[in-house]
Amino acid sequence: MNTVAPVLGVDVGGTNTDAVIMVGDEVIVAAKRSTTPDVGDGLIAVARAVLDEAKMSPSSLSAVMIGTTQFINAFVQRRDLTQVAAVRVALPKTDGIPPMVGWPQDLVDVVGRHGYLVSGGSFYDGREYADLDTEALAQVARDIKDKGIRAIALTSGFAPVRPDIEQRAAEVILRAHPEADITLSHEVGGLGLIDRENAALINSSLRQLSRKVVTSLQGALGQLGVGAPIYLSQNDGTLISTDYATRFPIVTCSAGPTNSIRGAAFLTGLQDAIVMDIGGTTTDLGFLVKGFPRETATAHLIGGVRTNFRMPDVLSIALGGGTRVRGSADAVSLGPDSVGYELTRRSLIFGGADLTTTDIAVRAGHVSLGDPSKVSSIEQSLVDATLDRIHLQIEDSIDQMKTSSQPVPVILVGGGHIILSRALRGTSKVHRPRHADVANAVGAAISMVSGRVDRMFDFAAGREVALDQAKEEARSAAIAAGAVPDSVEIVELTELPMTHMRTSAVQVKVRAVGKLRVGAL
Amino acid sequence: MYTITNDIDVRDMARGAVLLGSGGGGDPYVGELYLRNQLAEGRSPSIIAASELADDAFVVSIAGVGAPTVIIEHLVSTHTLLRLLEASETFYGRKIDALISAEIGGVNSMFPLALGTRAGIPIVDGDGMGRAFPHLEMTTFGVYGCAATPSVLMDDSGNVVHVHTKTNRIAEEVVRSVCASLGSMIFGSFYPMSGRQVKQLTVHHTVTHTLEIGRRIRTARDSQLDPVKGVLQFLNAPAEGRHAREIFNGRIVDVVHETRDGWHWGCVLIASGAGREPEFRIEIQNEYLVARHHGRTVTIVPDLIAILDAESAEPLTAEMLAYGQRVRVIGYSAAPIMRRPECLKVFGPRLFGLDEDFRPVEELQGAE
Repeated sequence: MNTVAPVLGVDVGGTNTDAVIMVGDEVIVAAKRSTTPDVGDGLIAVARAVLDEAKMSPSSLSAVMIGTTQFINAFVQRRDLTQVAAVRVALPKTDGIPPMVGWPQDLVDVVGRHGYLVSGGSFYDGREYADLDTEALAQVARDIKDKGIRAIALTSGFAPVRPDIEQRAAEVILRAHPEADITLSHEVGGLGLIDRENAALINSSLRQLSRKVVTSLQGALGQLGVGAPIYLSQNDGTLISTDYATRFPIVTCSAGPTNSIRGAAFLTGLQDAIVMDIGGTTTDLGFLVKGFPRETATAHLIGGVRTNFRMPDVLSIALGGGTRVRGSADAVSLGPDSVGYELTRRSLIFGGADLTTTDIAVRAGHVSLGDPSKVSSIEQSLVDATLDRIHLQIEDSIDQMKTSSQPVPVILVGGGHIILSRALRGTSKVHRPRHADVANAVGAAISMVSGRVDRMFDFAAGREVALDQAKEEARSAAIAAGAVPDSVEIVELTELPMTHMRTSAVQVKVRAVGKLRVGAL
Repeated sequence: MYTITNDIDVRDMARGAVLLGSGGGGDPYVGELYLRNQLAEGRSPSIIAASELADDAFVVSIAGVGAPTVIIEHLVSTHTLLRLLEASETFYGRKIDALISAEIGGVNSMFPLALGTRAGIPIVDGDGMGRAFPHLEMTTFGVYGCAATPSVLMDDSGNVVHVHTKTNRIAEEVVRSVCASLGSMIFGSFYPMSGRQVKQLTVHHTVTHTLEIGRRIRTARDSQLDPVKGVLQFLNAPAEGRHAREIFNGRIVDVVHETRDGWHWGCVLIASGAGREPEFRIEIQNEYLVARHHGRTVTIVPDLIAILDAESAEPLTAEMLAYGQRVRVIGYSAAPIMRRPECLKVFGPRLFGLDEDFRPVEELQGAE
């Protein structure tokens, strides 16, 4: 990255919109504002705040990186989603499991159940097992058009091997339904038809919202006079263009925790650590490995739907700064309920009636907040017992995340970190970096770009030859996405051999990551 | 006879089927969704004990044959399976009275259930191995003289292949070749049997076991108890001839996969929480074959090895293993019938190239 040009990193969360301006490796200013119904308003407020404080002109920014949980939140809360049609090109196969089997009913109620199956698709080796039935496909397209549905998720058998079948099918649909807005499954997922189809459906249902949100963010920055290119953060902590984000909002769905973990890494300079984000209601623990979040290995549910997206491995426990404290010194109980964002109204130190973990921290003298006289009558024994419980719960969760009994460094981010005051068992050091409360925005600002490959390779000519080809494809994809060629590194390589086959076909997944060439996307 | 009517039961069964798969058998997710779709369409399975069959009833195994990576793309076709049933009845010249799974571990636990549900044919509560194995001949049915063929194989394009071989071992070779020729995923009817044979040769109650295993893990998890202990409470029932215990708890430090002769080979190395040195090693040939602690065997085929996610106790297939995962490993006794000398000649350790004799998990010293 250019070491002198300032960049604006933004995190548009569900509650707050945070921003930082960074120059090189330094956080110059940071600010936090409320997220607004039209996300552009919140962005204007927070961007203006940091620009003013830094005494910088909007035109001096060289890039804007935005992480947002808008799309995943919308999907999980079933709001702002469009009706979507699932077109699967796979007959005579797959009819035993039509699209959206196993989807939560409340989601089906919103996006509808419009599944269509037509003939076509490929074997693992690329041979087609059935001709694409263009006539049936055109009829399906007309039916979808008649229903007034534009969003279509199109999936064909072994599409990662034969993406052209999906492309041809999309052309047929567009001829009969020119307004159709089609997500091709191979663009959002790898092998595994159901998971890939689900990802395409989720993506389709979010496209309208993504256009609205991205337009609003662009409009806000334009209004401020920011001319720099705008990027969004995707799941693996790397950047995509705004155009790509409007077409593939699904790739942003776990950018929130990823940015928080990577931001924490950056703020401390650590490459391997546990990152603990303590909020009002929950504490989320992530594991930082070589500067990137550790990902889960098993299937991932997004809003109750299985996809093949890999997500940061995050452990959430119901303990935060607003967690309610009950009982007496010999039988203290924590939560799991919290006063949440109402902390400043309901907790004792702010004149409320509920005893919270923050009240205990104030009573213990670890932090000065609100009116300490409101908690002065709490007995020391209850304070000690509560602190014991808080630290024990946190220590247990750290132990769950660890991969060995070796002590690990812990990075505390999030506003709730004040509830921790003691050394933590199993940790080598507890870091509370400056700007920890805007770690998400920092994570967005430092993002890199990536390229991925996930398809079958023939190992007949030798494993090394095939793997070299896979790595080269991933590297090229990263460069095409805007990476500085010299900076690209292979950060992940997985091989999955296939049984019951004559050929030596192996599924290979590779991910390459590099630094952003400013102004590249 | 009993039935299941809700998705939670189906998910429990699928989870249990992964555990009994001993690492292989394929992810039952496809079968699980297939069965859930049947329930969603208002049908439910009739699961019957083998003892409920008439002696002269006609029972066949319906199974998918193929590569796990292909099944997740080609899924399953109801149209194909109904045609397979019809073609099989014509071929055998008999109406099929019940279906049975040949292999309860993995995805083939679910296909007979779902198809039986769709076609209104009862499903026998049992199977031919109580786990997963890589070869067609590796069943109690086969060991005790029941032929895997004549058999009808079918792909989704309507190609039909009749197979009638001299031995079950050759049937395995032929079916594998046919499968490779037809895109690496086919369905077939195998092991035509009488009700009397089923009663004698089946590993009983394994459908119910999948349900019970999945349920124990889920309920322990939901009530914040240790789900591994929860499932062990069910699996370890010496009075009923079942023995199980946790044989290791640690972190995966290496996973090696390779394809040789069309099989998935490999091994997984696990270190205990404290160290980095791999102390525990599990050999893989499609399934987990043998688990050794510091070189000392603690569980060996046909006894089962299950690798569970350390937190959730979700059973993991060999494909799901990854470096850095925290896992707990269970050794579980195969059904008594599976441990008899005649069975060990067909699927004992030496049949997998291991140079040692079978010893029951309950007689081997534990790792911990």
